[in-house]
Amino acid sequence: MFKKILIANRGEIAVRIIRACQEMGIATVAVVSEVDRDSLHAYLADEVVCIGGNASADSYLNVQNIVSAAVNKGAEAIHPGFGFLSENADFAEICQRCGIKFIGPDKESIILLGDKAIAKQTMMDNKVPTIPGTDGEITDIAEAKAIAKEIGFPILLKASAGGGGRGIRLVNSEEELEEAFHAASTEALSYFGNGGVYMEKFLTETRHIEFQILADEHGNVVHLGERDCSMQRRRQKMVEETPCAVLSEELRTQMGQAAVNAAKAVGYKNTGTVEFLLDQNNNFYFMEMNTRIQVEHPVTEMVTRLDLIKKQIEIAAGMPLGLTQKDVTFEGHSIECRINAESVKNNFMPTGGTIEALHVPGGLGIRFDSHMYQGYKLPMYYDSMIGKLIVWAPTRKEAIMRMKRALDEIKIEGFDTNISFQSDLIGSEAFVTGNYNTATIEGMLTK
Amino acid sequence: MLKDMFQNKKNEKPPVKSTVASPSANIPDKMWVACPGCGRMIYDKLYTQNLKVCPMCGYHIPMSANERIDMVFDKNSFERFEYQIPTSDPLQFPQYKEKLQSYKTKSKLDDAVICGVGSICGIKTAVCVMDNSFMMASMGYIVGESITRTVEYATENKLPIIIFATSGGARMQEGIVSLMQMAKVSGAIKKHSDKGLLYITVITHPTTGGVTASFASLGDVIIAEAGALLGFAGQRVIEQTINQKLPKNFQSAEFALQHGFVDIITQRKKLNDVLWKVLSIHCS
Repeated sequence: MFKKILIANRGEIAVRIIRACQEMGIATVAVVSEVDRDSLHAYLADEVVCIGGNASADSYLNVQNIVSAAVNKGAEAIHPGFGFLSENADFAEICQRCGIKFIGPDKESIILLGDKAIAKQTMMDNKVPTIPGTDGEITDIAEAKAIAKEIGFPILLKASAGGGGRGIRLVNSEEELEEAFHAASTEALSYFGNGGVYMEKFLTETRHIEFQILADEHGNVVHLGERDCSMQRRRQKMVEETPCAVLSEELRTQMGQAAVNAAKAVGYKNTGTVEFLLDQNNNFYFMEMNTRIQVEHPVTEMVTRLDLIKKQIEIAAGMPLGLTQKDVTFEGHSIECRINAESVKNNFMPTGGTIEALHVPGGLGIRFDSHMYQGYKLPMYYDSMIGKLIVWAPTRKEAIMRMKRALDEIKIEGFDTNISFQSDLIGSEAFVTGNYNTATIEGMLTK
Repeated sequence: MLKDMFQNKKNEKPPVKSTVASPSANIPDKMWVACPGCGRMIYDKLYTQNLKVCPMCGYHIPMSANERIDMVFDKNSFERFEYQIPTSDPLQFPQYKEKLQSYKTKSKLDDAVICGVGSICGIKTAVCVMDNSFMMASMGYIVGESITRTVEYATENKLPIIIFATSGGARMQEGIVSLMQMAKVSGAIKKHSDKGLLYITVITHPTTGGVTASFASLGDVIIAEAGALLGFAGQRVIEQTINQKLPKNFQSAEFALQHGFVDIITQRKKLNDVLWKVLSIHCS
């Protein structure tokens, strides 16, 4: 097992990883930007290295400084968390070349799954259901027109190297196709340096269901059930829950097996998430596989009683999973609400300032993962997520009630947050009945 | 304050010792390249993939002649001319021959230029590529004669010619013979031009002295790589001679473009495309 790990991240996930390391008796090195010297992860880690200026490019994306910090401090492994360098194949390769273990999949998996067109093709080759569309990148507009006719409008054009909603165009008719094709390609080229786009059928009123994968370096792969992340605004998840309110046991088994097959198809190692779209007729389609720990991993931890960060570290250290699919059991229901520093009334504009007062709810089945403390000044350079409120209860109904109670109780003074909006979501008829999809929040906002 | 409590608790802990005996021993040599422009480190793979252009500041790091040929010409299309020109040492300059020999051994080049013919997207062209790792690509007899013969070859065979220029200037160890090369190459280019043939100059960083004052400035189309330094004498020398302060970047390709001395500035990754476009307009 490792004796010292560097955490190449900040905020709540850095704190989460440090906590896991402390429980495993592993020393930790935190890296911070100049403005983050007062961040909680800097105080909780055993050692701290300032790796650069406030802009992410100068610090948390600064590969050479992070690797130098790891080398100088004698860290044997680097945990990348999520975001920043977590899905950067070059970073994984550099770590490997420097004799530092990257806690995540190998660079080949990151490259393969990072290219959405290749990933989709790999899944098709391995009989994992995919959304109808092109087999790979579209070469010209004539091909685009022919395929669109075959699968039927509406269709989506997506950047092969895309993410974060960039390089995506919804096309409702053939007349719109040519202009949208050029627009998506140009946007993809300017954002990702690769103008390749592919096409797929646009499915309406779908749910975003993802399966958590655990795979060790000895060929063992299990899934830890699903998370329903359909409560999204502009493709950004806001509420996640497990189990999904509408998934039958039969469908869960089918999708879980497909997720395991997807991971096996690429020789995947460590934690990963296979994302599916589920349509109204219970057809599911592979969307993409995220090669990192997810923000919403705690809900899976709450129902499986497995610590995913510890599992990541154990896998990276070469330990076998120590469990088979039959050993994975699920108990109760868990919901997570992302607490963001943003002003809902100002179109969810990020806010910031000093936390003047903070009260965190407690009681049975409540967990709050955050890097906040009273007096902490929120830097304006990074993501607006300041915490994750997670509840567990034996049933979904109780979990909803517990989340409502927790959201009522939590107090953050100093700037606007989305807490009351989250409370409205949890209490909404759509959420309470479980009858929601990826368009639900947008629909609520337009009303 | 809460943060003081965290800090105090931390100060109570003993420092953590390194758990790896010699961590830096694991790092491969030459894995990082320092950018001369911004000083930041570039990962070797990215450095190669990005054609030796710094991904952070866009600085164009000089390429060797062989790297340039690999980058510009269609695969396996380049044929090198081996002229076997004897070394010239008219002044019997002290230790010049030893110095030349040492550069030949280190660079595996005969002198500071590689000449030949090759194709860019199927269009055949003669080419001379200077290499500043050989005595800062200074122009002596071998460089001048090689370029002259290649220009003459292009004239005879009705081919366009591209010269990738980089140089510290005329080679002082060869005295007047080196200055003579300016006129000789320029004369050959005039004859090439008289036949209505295309001459493209590509100014790369840095191009100075007698090379700027002769063939580097004679192209029908003068293309410069972004940020390339282009000048005759050094800025300080000119300032001290004319007793005037000069604009900060007056010897940059961008300044030269503004003042009509350069026709096109291009990023290195787009250079092939630009060359092909210019060649295809002329050769169609």
